[in-house]
Amino acid sequence: MTDVLEFTLDKFKFEVPTDRYYSEEGLWVLPEGDDRVRIGLSDFVQQRSGDVAFAQITAEGATVGLDDEVAVIETIKVDVYFNAPVAGEIVAVNPEMDVAPEAINQDPYGEGWLAVIEAEDWEADRGRLLDPQAYFEGMKEEAQEDARTL
Amino acid sequence: MSEKRRKVMLVPCSGLGKSLGTVSREAAYEVLEDLRPAETGLAPLSLLVLGDEATRAAVADNVAVAIDGCKLACASKMVAESGGQVARGFAVLDAYRRHREFKPRGIAELNEGGRKLAHALAEEIAAAVDALSKDEEEQHA
Repeated sequence: MTDVLEFTLDKFKFEVPTDRYYSEEGLWVLPEGDDRVRIGLSDFVQQRSGDVAFAQITAEGATVGLDDEVAVIETIKVDVYFNAPVAGEIVAVNPEMDVAPEAINQDPYGEGWLAVIEAEDWEADRGRLLDPQAYFEGMKEEAQEDARTL
Repeated sequence: MSEKRRKVMLVPCSGLGKSLGTVSREAAYEVLEDLRPAETGLAPLSLLVLGDEATRAAVADNVAVAIDGCKLACASKMVAESGGQVARGFAVLDAYRRHREFKPRGIAELNEGGRKLAHALAEEIAAAVDALSKDEEEQHA
């Protein structure tokens, strides 16, 4: 069973599984072998963004660079744009995103995955990502800052 | 002796400070005041939460339509806790998915998108009220 780092702030609890990497903007990246990685939104990002109304993911077959947009998540509150955390080809897009994007809120680390990317150079891109502890520490600071400013 | 025909009680979200809650309430008010005034009543969620006996009885004894603002579904839950049953449930987020062009903004006062979304939702609720009222009529025929 995957270990999870947890942070509770007021009535909110944020989870960070330790079996994957994270981008600074809050996408998780789960290596699946053969240079393939599955990506999705962290629990903190999905809670902060609110109930997802629409999720638009870059189409299967497209190639994305590190600064290319890979997903747009639209909630009632905000539209959030995410860049690809790994360069490569989109080899799968979660079909649930078209019909039930609320899966992102319900199960951000499981059924709410966004896409699978076949990385061009996984070893190089992995070095740019955060390990779970580093993401967890940054996320805690962001959550506390949010709480102070709201 | 004939049984008293039941009304459709509208139970909107009480979410103050959120656009979704405001859309829910505005839609309920439009159905109640303009679209189906004879067939509907309003059960304020705050009174259900406070345990107001008359409001709880109105929900329990009539046909309830819950209009939830978000996934917490407080309106639906309070109908059940008040002894009622949700005959039809609506969620503002789902309504927005059906009407993406009407993006709600604002809290005390909705933007144009929010007002249009509330109107579209009110029309859907009114159609549900018609169907529920027809069922009531058939049961009393």
